Parts: sequence; structure tokens; C-alpha cells
Amino acid sequence: MRTKSYLVFFTIVFIMASAPKVWAFQQEETAETGNVTLKPVPDNKEGIFAQREKIGYALRLHNNTGEVQKGTIAYSITTDDGKKVEDDSSKFSLKSYGSKSLILKIKPKPVGFYHINFRVNLPDYDDTVRNVFGVDPQKITSQLHKPADFDAFWTRTREDLEKVVPQYRVLERKDLSTDEKRVYSVEMHSYGDIVIRGWLVVPTDGKRFPVHYRVPGYVVGLKPNMDNDDFITFDLNVRGNGNSTDVMEIGTDNYCLFNIENKDKYIYRGVYMDCLRGVDFLMSHASLGIDINKIFVEGGSQGGALALITAALDKRVKVLTLQVPLYADIHNDLLVSSSYQTQVFPFKTFRKYQEKHPAFTWDKFFATWDYYDPQNFAPMVQCPVLMGIGLLDQFCPPRCSMALFNHIGSKNKEFVCVPNSTHEVNFDYFMFQNVWLREKFRIP
Amino acid sequence: MQKTRLFIIFLALIVLATPVKTFAGFPIGKYRDIVVPSFNYYRQTDRFDGNDKVIKGPPGTSFTSYSSTLFIGYGITRRLDLIMNVPFLYQVNNLGQNGKIVDQGPGDFVGGLSYNLVNWGYTKFLSVQASAIVPLYSKINGENTALGLGDYGTEVKLMFCGSLPKLIADKGYFNTELTYRRYFDTQGPDQVSFMATVGYPVTKHNQVSVDLTFYRSYSSNKAFDPNIFTARDYAFFKPQLNVGHQFSRRASLFIGGYYVPFGLNTGVGYGGSVLFVFKL
Repeated sequence: MRTKSYLVFFTIVFIMASAPKVWAFQQEETAETGNVTLKPVPDNKEGIFAQREKIGYALRLHNNTGEVQKGTIAYSITTDDGKKVEDDSSKFSLKSYGSKSLILKIKPKPVGFYHINFRVNLPDYDDTVRNVFGVDPQKITSQLHKPADFDAFWTRTREDLEKVVPQYRVLERKDLSTDEKRVYSVEMHSYGDIVIRGWLVVPTDGKRFPVHYRVPGYVVGLKPNMDNDDFITFDLNVRGNGNSTDVMEIGTDNYCLFNIENKDKYIYRGVYMDCLRGVDFLMSHASLGIDINKIFVEGGSQGGALALITAALDKRVKVLTLQVPLYADIHNDLLVSSSYQTQVFPFKTFRKYQEKHPAFTWDKFFATWDYYDPQNFAPMVQCPVLMGIGLLDQFCPPRCSMALFNHIGSKNKEFVCVPNSTHEVNFDYFMFQNVWLREKFRIP
Repeated sequence: MQKTRLFIIFLALIVLATPVKTFAGFPIGKYRDIVVPSFNYYRQTDRFDGNDKVIKGPPGTSFTSYSSTLFIGYGITRRLDLIMNVPFLYQVNNLGQNGKIVDQGPGDFVGGLSYNLVNWGYTKFLSVQASAIVPLYSKINGENTALGLGDYGTEVKLMFCGSLPKLIADKGYFNTELTYRRYFDTQGPDQVSFMATVGYPVTKHNQVSVDLTFYRSYSSNKAFDPNIFTARDYAFFKPQLNVGHQFSRRASLFIGGYYVPFGLNTGVGYGGSVLFVFKL
């Protein structure tokens, strides 16, 4: 039995070797430098607390020097639009290369998102760590600034789209195809008779597949998505994006400003319709193996807004996932962004335009944007929804994303907050999204 | 960000789409089912004594078991699964010149719940499973049949599984299970087993996997019994080699063979199994 013992020992070692690898992975993410490093860890993994719950953080301090460090640790809390809420400080000392964990408990806060900055002050070293926590974000409300003729405007727009004959062209790209995937370049006419293009990738291993329909971020050219074996992937480049730029090229600096003073001609009127034309394309090409009853639309940032609007206006979309949706709740986005010390997109771009065109007031801005705010489309979404947001996101403030989410008409909706992410979500989110999608489409 | 996301999705597919032999510790997934019919063959002629020495069986004697098992799993929630296992046995105990004894019928039903305690990025999963063991046959005149111990029992299993660490391989999976089983009888037995599986896809649709099982059954009744379903005090180490083929996302086939190279008070057994895995 001695041999057996060795074998059992070997297998147990194998298990033990696997577990620390996971832990090591998590540690790498937080590696920092400095005399004293501070890592605030919210009690709740997602940084979300209940309204009657104390806000808890473990403040992990580590002395990276061989000398004793004495200093102050302080925190200050503001609302997400910059109003001071509270602050406090405390002294600490750390032995050489020593570590300490301080527990911080803050009184419960009303519904909303809060910025909490932690500062470490030493005689010759200072550091600030930014964090954001949320309190019952599913209770965040916002006013819908929906023009009276909003529905009529979009009904009319869709009718105009239907008048455009799509003239689909599907060209197999053997140079990009592999044994496992057939790649097609697709082309169609959209709103205003503008030609748009996209990439369709069909796995060869099967006859019928659900569709992963991806719409682009802000002036991001999408390429064929070769990494999905369980879905046909369709990546659409709306006007002015990727391989659709030969027809219309506006560029990053002006894209969201193109005809902004005229709601009827604003760039996004056509862009939103391009996304619907993409669904038309999928529905009319079932012969390529597309399961037209399983269309899933996804996008991040501007793509998140486009995905939501596609699902809102077209019930042929069965599942929606969106990350960090741009332009959501645009009235509050303006309010929150006005508290930033340094402006970021999109209001950095809108403000610049305003400086050059002083007659273009915020009222005029909203006279256009109230027709395009994704939030106004949200009540029309009835399919299952998954949304991911980064709590440190300034492009898409969490408050605005959650206001959008809370207006979504579907009851079958979930959200994921990633505490230490800015304008993106993380690995865990996408792994969860994969599980979530398989659940919704019953994919083995 | 786009490239990162594609990589992540690709990684997820490797982890989630690789068919795994039987249920293992991977959550089945909400509202989804897994059905695994299997056919097993086991034979022994010789046995290990209490000191791991091989004792030759009398000429013409052997024990052979043919069994078919139906495993069904259903995902109640993302973390909670219902699992059931129903075996049907056909066993031949060849006594040489004294003839042979044939027993057939349903064996011990195992049913319970599996709960995923924690996952690490949906690539590694730690789960616990609690099951009840119910004999689907009756004792004859208070004596055991050859289909099982004839006692109710319970089983608790801790499972850790996931994709292989990158340090070892860029694809493939592992599954480990530590199981404690207790039969409610004065003689027990109490059983502890540890199983480790490593699977590696050699092509897109084909894989090889290795199972290593260490099994220890403790009882005050030390008598040798060639029938593994009714023996009480024994131990063995069993390596098994499997090949798997994926026909589609919903159907896979695994064929495996094993040999028992070491044991205590048990048969020098060998055999094989054929499993169909249907994901519905």
C-alpha cells in the first residue's frame, strides 16, 4: 500500500497546487508600489450596500520599507455630482515591512452612488485611492425627458428605413475563413440609402446556431469575431465605423456632433436605424444557419446604447447584454460630468462644441438629445437583459447607467457592478455573461 | 478591451464547452438537464489479501458484473442541482465446480442535491453534494442480496474542478472529489474515497482523460467478498483511462478501461465502461 500512498499524495498535491494559483491571480491584480500601499476592500464584493446597511471597508495597509512608518489615513465621501457628505481621519503606524488591516464602518446612506477617496499621508509620501460605492442602485430613479412626439418620430423613421431596399450582398471571404469558420463580408443599404457593412462568421460544425449580434462602440471598427463556437457572430459597422467608413467618414472628434443641431438629421438617427437593418439582415438569411428565434444583441459603451435601442425597437431580438452604456440618462450625465475636475468624453466633446457655438445652449442640446437618450427607449425593452458597469466609470456614470437599467421594461433583468473598473467591465463579468447566455438560450 | 473580451469569451468556451465525463463538480446550469446512461463491465478471478498480496483464485472461479446506470441531473438554480443515479445490475459469481450464482435487479439509488459554494472567475468551482442512498431491492430473509448492502445510507461529497492551471496546460480540465459514505448498519461500512480526473482535448472533438480513484471502506466485518457491491472492509487504487468523442454540443461518448493494481481484501479487478453524455 506504500505505492498507493504516494499516488494519493500526488493527487492531493495536484489539488493544492491548483488553488493557490487562483489566489496568486487575484493578488497580481492589486500589486502596487509606494512607501505604504493602501488597498480598500468593500465588505460587499461588488461595492453595493443596502440603504439601512453600514458601509464597510477593510483598509489593508502595507509598509514596503524597512523603516517604521507613521502617518494619517483619511477618507472623504462626496455624492457622485461632487457634494460633500462626510470625512474623517485617523493616525496609524506600521512596523518595517509590516501590514495592518483597519475596519471602516460608515453610517448608512441614501440611495445613490458615492465617491470615497482614501488618503495616506506620511511625512515624505502621500497617496490617494479612489473608490465608488453604491447604495441600493436598483432604486435609483430619474425623470424621462421624452418628447411628446418621440414615438411618432421613431415610427416615422422606421417607416423611412423600410422604404430603403436593403440590396443585401453576402460575399464569402475564403481568405479569412478557416476549416472551422466561414467568414462572410456583408453589405446592405440602410437609412438614407447609405451603404453599411459587417462581418458574419458561421461555424462549420453544425447546421443552426443562435446569433451573437454585436454593435460597435464609438467609432470602433469591428472585425470578424472568430472566437465563438456556439454562436454565429454578426459584427455590424454602422455608418462611419470600420469597413463602412468609405461611404461616410466623420472621425472620432466630430462623430457625435454631426448635425447635432438638427434632430431630424442627427447622425444617430441613421445609426440607430443601421442597427435595425442589421436585424433585418439576420432575419432574411436563415439559410446561412441563423436561428432567427435566438438573436442576442450586445455592445459596450456606445455599443451598449445601440444594443439597448435595437432590443427596444425590434422585438425580434430575444436577449440583450450591454456594458457601460454611453449617453444613458443624458440630463443627469451632464450634471454629474459638471463636477469633474477634468472633462471626459462625451461631455468634453459637447462642451467644446458649445464653446465654439455659444448659441447652442443646453436647451438646444436636449431638444435634439431627448430623441436619442437611450433611457427613453428603455421601457420598450421586454427581453431578458444583463448589464455590466464599472463603478469608477466617468464616461458613463454609474448613476446614469442604473437609471437606464431601472427604466428597462423587462422584469427579467440583472446587473453586475465591477468596483475597480473605469469604462469597462472585467473577466468575471464576461465569464458570467457566458453562463447567463447559455441559461437564456438553453445552450449545453 | 475588445481583444481582451474575445480572449475571455474564448477561454470561457474552452472551459464550458469541453464535455466532461459524467457530472463532476461543474454546475449543470439553471433549467438545464444532463442525462448519462452508462454500461459497465467488471471481472475478477484473483484477489488481494489483507496485506496487498495477490491470492490466485481457485480454477474456474470468477466474479463478473455487468451494470447499466442512468444518471440524471437538473439545474434548479445557477448553483443548485438535483442529481439522481439509478443502477441496474447483472452479476455472475462463478463458483467453479459448484456452479454459479446469478443476481440481477436494480441496485442502490443515489439521489441528492449539489451546491456550488464558490467559483473563481467561472473557471474553477468548489461544490458540495449531499445524497441519500436507498436500496431498490429487498433483503432476503434478512440476508443481503448480491445487489448491494441492503441498507440505507448517506453520502457527502466535496468537489473541486475547473480548467487546468495555465502553468500545466492551456486547455483541458480537472475534477477532484472527496467522498464520505455511511451505511446505516451496525457493521457500517464507512467509506472514504478520493478521485482525481484530468481531461485533455487532443482535437476539437476528441479528448483523453485519466481517473485515479483511491477507495477505502471500513467495517468490523472483515470477511472477503468478491462482490464489490456487498463487500464491507476493503481498499483499492484504480486508475482508468478514457477516450471521449463529442458528436455535438448535446451528445458525447466516453469509453474507458481500468485495472486494479493495488488493493486490500478485494478483487484484482479489471473492466471498462461506456458512457453517453446528453446535455439537454
